[in-house]
Amino acid sequence: MLAIRKPGFLNRLYLIEIIRGLWITMKNFLFHKKVTLQFPEQRRDYSGRYRGQHYIKAVNGVENCTACMLCPTVCPAECIHIVAGERDDKEKYPVKFEIDSLRCCFCGMCEEACPKDAIKLSNIYEMSQQNRTVYEKDFLMEQRGNK
Amino acid sequence: MPKCTIDGKEVEFKAGENLVTVAKRVGAEIPVFCYHPGLSVVAQCRMCYVEVEKMPKLQTACSTLAAEGMVVKTQSEAVKKGRAGTMEFLLLNHPLDCPICDKAGECDLQDNSFGHGSEFMRHSEERRTYVDVDMGPVIQKNMNRCIHCTRCIRFGEEVAGIHEMVAIKRGNNIDITTIDGKQLKTEYAGNYSDICPTGSLTLKDFRFKKRAWMLKKTATICEGCSKGCNMEVQQEGNVVYRCVPRENLEINKYWMCDEGRFNYHYVQDPSRIVSPMKRSGDSWLVSPWEELLVNFRTDSAGTGVMLLIGTDLTLEEMKAIQETAKALSPRAAILSFGTPGVESTTQDGPRDQILKMKSKTSNLKGAEMLGIQPLLGAAKSDVVLVFRGGRAELPRIEAKKAYGVGVFLEKERNHFHAILPGLSFLEKEGTVVNHQGKEQSLKRALLPRGKSKAIGEILMLALHQRNGEVTA
Repeated sequence: MLAIRKPGFLNRLYLIEIIRGLWITMKNFLFHKKVTLQFPEQRRDYSGRYRGQHYIKAVNGVENCTACMLCPTVCPAECIHIVAGERDDKEKYPVKFEIDSLRCCFCGMCEEACPKDAIKLSNIYEMSQQNRTVYEKDFLMEQRGNK
Repeated sequence: MPKCTIDGKEVEFKAGENLVTVAKRVGAEIPVFCYHPGLSVVAQCRMCYVEVEKMPKLQTACSTLAAEGMVVKTQSEAVKKGRAGTMEFLLLNHPLDCPICDKAGECDLQDNSFGHGSEFMRHSEERRTYVDVDMGPVIQKNMNRCIHCTRCIRFGEEVAGIHEMVAIKRGNNIDITTIDGKQLKTEYAGNYSDICPTGSLTLKDFRFKKRAWMLKKTATICEGCSKGCNMEVQQEGNVVYRCVPRENLEINKYWMCDEGRFNYHYVQDPSRIVSPMKRSGDSWLVSPWEELLVNFRTDSAGTGVMLLIGTDLTLEEMKAIQETAKALSPRAAILSFGTPGVESTTQDGPRDQILKMKSKTSNLKGAEMLGIQPLLGAAKSDVVLVFRGGRAELPRIEAKKAYGVGVFLEKERNHFHAILPGLSFLEKEGTVVNHQGKEQSLKRALLPRGKSKAIGEILMLALHQRNGEVTA
């Protein structure tokens, strides 16, 4: 026969267990480092090698890119489209430089292939958009990120 | 035949062949810059070093003729060291322009530097620089990249027949330029870009358009004249970026004229008609194929019909027109048109001493072989049906009704009452016969543009439709 053990009076109060549980909560709340952060106000620091939003590096306002087309050649997602042109201060420069960010798989091969250190992946990770986004040259030329 | 030994392999050769040619036969590729099989030998670049037994020093393979019993080593340590040394000298002044250079990817200097040079450079001095002369509308010059192989100078003298490029100054200050800095006059200037082993002479037409490795290549035949030069069409995404000559020692050797090289532009001209159209008053209306095919059928069945076949069509298309005409318009006169003044092969002949022919269309000989009589003067008839590949010059048309079948630009449509768009020479396959009687095949390089159809298809649809519905 199954004996049903009746809990004692103190056990029936659950007070000790409540205090014990509260202690664990308070210990984590008061003395432990917080895991989450308040996102829009606080931001997490990513490693310098993080591959986020692209940008084109510029020196004195002139883009490093010479439209050599190595990044569209190496790009596995075929998301980079460049049209080359000529202007007075630069023999060859990208007239059009577009990155289809939805196609991009953030592999970083473009950055690796670039002989001029022009295309970079920054540590910006907030890239959610409501429509299909193609990064134009003007957008990419703005110097964002940590590099 | 005499024999010599190259890299331990015995090989037969004809008297007068040099070691570069003979070595190629045993699979030993000797790197060259100044040597070109179509030009004289100068042995200037010193890249083609080989070791020949019983000769005290390294020999240049381009200027050493193979001899009976000669023992040649192309891969020995001494040869490798010699080539690496040459490469280092050539790169002393060569800028690291590869990212912006149009030659990158098909550059002899890149290939040979990768294959035979060192990956490090020992000198840190400044490189010499030049101010470039304007070379005219075809060629863009960049003297900084030049390695003074003098191929361009020899090409002008020996092939183009005009001595317009020279080397001035000596040593480190050498400058390869045109005489008095004039613009290039030759009509074969595009070849300067092809033979240049570096990016020193590049095509203005191709400048910064695409990188060489992105282009898809199709071997076809030029339709510029009755010479039938072999050429390669380089396209990407159904857009042609350039045409380069292919080697054919019996026809064009290694060369090609500028007219043929840049002839492809009309194929992708925005004003090319690629939808069936008919005239209504002064304006033009895009009409469905069915409607125009009905009109085409009814008009061609009557009397007083004249069929004009452009001599720029392929043999297959001409034959198809001849055969379908028996059913489509049995009483029609079938005549050919092409170049005014050059109506038959007897009037055809060389226009200059190099490649160009008088007939501006590729298949004049073929039209004669099929027995098509040439049209002389204007085309006067009730109904005129013009079949044209895009290159033949349109004759004056005096007709109540005129149809154009084939490739037409907007400025050419005023002759006609309706246009049925056809395929250009890059969009179809077929056979053309050049002035020597050689049959050569066109290969399709592009997909047809818009709603254009092949002439054979248009004729079949016209023949087999009943009120616009295809029955057969």
